[in-house]
Amino acid sequence: MSETVVGFHEHEAQPEHHAPAPPPRGWHRLTAPGWLRVPWTMALFFGIGAGLVVLVRWAEGWHPIWDGAVLTTVSLATVPIGFLVGLGGFDYWWRYASGKPTVPEDHSGHGAYSWRDYFRINTDHKVIGIQYLVTTIVFFVIAGLLAMFMRAELAQPGMQFVDNQTFNGLFSVHAALMIFLFVIPAFAGIGNYVIPLMIGAPDMAFPRLNALSYWLLPIAGIMMLSSFLVPGGPLAAGWTNYAPLSVHQPLGNVFFAMGVQWAGASSIMTALNFLVTIITMRAPGMTFWRMPLLVWANFTTSLLVVIATPFIAGSQFFVMFDHIMHTHFFDPAAGGYPLGYQHIFWFYSHPAVYIMMLPGFGIASEVISVMARKPIFGYRLMALSLMAILVLGFSVWAHHMFVAGMAPWLRVPMMVTSMVIAVPTGIKVFSWLATLWEGRIHFETPMLFALGFVSMFVIGGLSGIYLAAVPIDIHTSDTYFVVAHIHYVLFGGSLFTIFAGIYFWFPKMTGRMYNEKLGKLHFWLTFVGFNLTFFPMHWLGLQGMPRRVADYVPKFADLNLFISIASFGLGASTIVFVYNMVVSWRFGPPAPPNPWRSLTLEWQVSSPPPVFNFDEVPQVVGNPYEYGVPGARHGVFNGDRVHEPEEAPVS
Amino acid sequence: MALLVPWLPDPASEQANRIDFVFWFVTTICIAIFALVAAVIVYSLLKFRARADDDSDGPPTHGHTGLEIWWTAIPAALVTAISIVSAVVLAKNEQLPNAASASAARGAQTSTQTMCRPRSEDPLKPLVVCVIAQQFAWLFQYPAYNNATSATLRLPIDTTVQLQLQSKDVIHSFWVPEFGQKQDAVPGLLTKLVITPNRLGTFPVICTELCGLGHAVMRSQTTVESKDKFLAWANARGKATGGGGPSPAAKTFFVDNGCDGCHTFKPAGANGTVGPDLDNLSEAAQKAGQPLQEFIRQSIVDPNAYVAPGYPKGVMPETFSSLPKQQLDALVQYLAGGSQ
Repeated sequence: MSETVVGFHEHEAQPEHHAPAPPPRGWHRLTAPGWLRVPWTMALFFGIGAGLVVLVRWAEGWHPIWDGAVLTTVSLATVPIGFLVGLGGFDYWWRYASGKPTVPEDHSGHGAYSWRDYFRINTDHKVIGIQYLVTTIVFFVIAGLLAMFMRAELAQPGMQFVDNQTFNGLFSVHAALMIFLFVIPAFAGIGNYVIPLMIGAPDMAFPRLNALSYWLLPIAGIMMLSSFLVPGGPLAAGWTNYAPLSVHQPLGNVFFAMGVQWAGASSIMTALNFLVTIITMRAPGMTFWRMPLLVWANFTTSLLVVIATPFIAGSQFFVMFDHIMHTHFFDPAAGGYPLGYQHIFWFYSHPAVYIMMLPGFGIASEVISVMARKPIFGYRLMALSLMAILVLGFSVWAHHMFVAGMAPWLRVPMMVTSMVIAVPTGIKVFSWLATLWEGRIHFETPMLFALGFVSMFVIGGLSGIYLAAVPIDIHTSDTYFVVAHIHYVLFGGSLFTIFAGIYFWFPKMTGRMYNEKLGKLHFWLTFVGFNLTFFPMHWLGLQGMPRRVADYVPKFADLNLFISIASFGLGASTIVFVYNMVVSWRFGPPAPPNPWRSLTLEWQVSSPPPVFNFDEVPQVVGNPYEYGVPGARHGVFNGDRVHEPEEAPVS
Repeated sequence: MALLVPWLPDPASEQANRIDFVFWFVTTICIAIFALVAAVIVYSLLKFRARADDDSDGPPTHGHTGLEIWWTAIPAALVTAISIVSAVVLAKNEQLPNAASASAARGAQTSTQTMCRPRSEDPLKPLVVCVIAQQFAWLFQYPAYNNATSATLRLPIDTTVQLQLQSKDVIHSFWVPEFGQKQDAVPGLLTKLVITPNRLGTFPVICTELCGLGHAVMRSQTTVESKDKFLAWANARGKATGGGGPSPAAKTFFVDNGCDGCHTFKPAGANGTVGPDLDNLSEAAQKAGQPLQEFIRQSIVDPNAYVAPGYPKGVMPETFSSLPKQQLDALVQYLAGGSQ
């Protein structure tokens, strides 16, 4: 991996460069930020949390003073802080806040020169982007394996391999990991790597915050996974964690409630970072109407994250308080209101669907335009429809609650807004189709995944219309129809675009080409396996199979067996992907700076880019998608000779 | 081709017929849209494919305002049409007979009614059934028939029924696929659902909201029968429940409280597998080191005090501690008798 990073000399050329401090020796290694400091800071913070609990309980005379459930809950907050302190996440701020002289920035936290640099607090957005992607793919594989266990149990009616508690844990943790540890952060990872390059910035606006927001992620993932080891079993009330069921769960449920806090904090920090970066750090000439659509998509997504995520944090805190502190937010016997949970939860979790979708729209726009060799059709309307989805996305949450017993009058207005949100989404789909029309289409792997996304997402979007229509939703809600719908949206939509993005920017990130044949094989296995697995679920749901069941009536046995077999094939396709990525990263042929002949800025520098991205600040002179316009340029560097510096017409 | 697949179960209620209509209305529109998208993609795939060595670009088309207006306006019109059809069907599906009390009905819907009660003098206009959901069983109660109770839902054909749903513990959801109608039962709320069965037969009742470990087996069934048959059954059942008559067998308590949803107990014909088998209670009492009757009573009112090995804690609801003493005594006797 060391040869994947070139351009250390640019780093040296930075005028404010200071020689990095010599590595610590002897016992200083235990006090310097790093993995040797982690164990004792974690123990220290566990002690602080436990001491606080014991002190309060002793002072109040609550027995037993040493209460395992309370200690565990508090530790889920304090021990990760100890971990971050040990790793060095707060060193700079601590010196600053306590009035000590700050250490001059020597940029030693930047870049990666060996694999070890991926396992420390690293402030380079490109390193963080790769940290994000590798971590999320690890959790993707784990969550996928959980789904395989689930399908094994569901291959036949009755109980074969696992008990009810474990089965409920399987689908709950599967969903929690896929949503909070894969789809959302995988897009954050791609954005982290690509956005600063695309807008001509040397890094993100807040590199230390960026590093911290990454390291919250493994904490959240390990917390959710380790709930399997908690006495009483894992979180088992679904990722939706509806109260009051979730309040009466074993302790494993708290691991979800706290895990969501860490994952949520991570995504809020990243979103703020994206917003400030996109607003303040664009290269000269990069107006909002010249930003690539991926930048637009991350801009709108970040707004969604910042506004919506605190709501799920609140809802999980309420559940945890009811659980541990015996409050009564959702206990009707004491004046609580169970539907209140659902309103707060979905006020985040519906916008979360767009958090998991809009960056995918951005990736699809980049890939389709470059590989069809045509400007994106209706660029401004594409950007505006993102903003429309952002606004409308906050007005549709109660369509998850048509049968929940909420105020009856709320249903028709929520149906209308849910229907209306199909219009901007439709605009995007039709614009991608029009971009393909008369193009010179190259079917490399990213393009296959982008087109697979468009066709599968249309199915997911159309089944969304069924679910928005109240009478049909009354029949289909909480059935396998919904399972099919969300997988067409999140697998056919989000996952396909994540794959498209990973293949598309793989040469940029690693400096090497992936294996095209294996990429295509991966696509076709995934595409076929995906449809065979999830399409029959529509029928199962309509016929009467409820979701989240370990056992079902014998008349659905044949189709479930078929689905299980297909899903194992789908799972196996991931092996091709992981193999291709690992082997190509190590041994792939070196990648040219711009293998796709793209106009956007990240392709105008070497692969991988220099440590500070651009040796000189680019000047943006035109739109990002001017394919077919003779001599058109998006960005120029001082040394370049521009043939025809024409301003291309704007659609 | 998708039009030929029997997507929905054979409807057995007027509401399901209307839902079917909306379903096929939406399906026709969606198939047209999907066909259009798929056709464009496949055509582009074949027609505009570039050779690997082709470095040329496509024509620099940036957009077309007319086209963009059309593909905003047509989907907007289609979703408006779907919304209108859906709203009309929704209103019809919640209509109750007894036009005179229509305004009262509207009043009742917005009022905070918390107790299940009949709506009018005529017990069949509409027939009110109280649905009591708990982990992991359904109980159906007929307030107009002396609060007759049943573990399965029996309904007269061609009669509008209003279900009034309550939950004793967590959120459950009542669904009969053939009726098309579904409604959550929420603790602390009284939710309502209207069904007009129009086909004789027996259909499954399914819980669709994850309600705990026994969620998958929280099933019951509903039987739609002729009006005469239903009335005969309801009247007889009502008399049996009412004061003065012989008190119903403990077996009824066992079934009414949903014990059979989770437990196997041969005398009651129960074969649930979520909780421990109740046919070997004396053995279990020995293991717990308690006298049989005391053991059974404690296991009902305080289920977490002793949990049979191999079963997780906290699955058996604690709600049974509120059973009337007389019922509890009968149940303890009944269960103790079955294992001797």
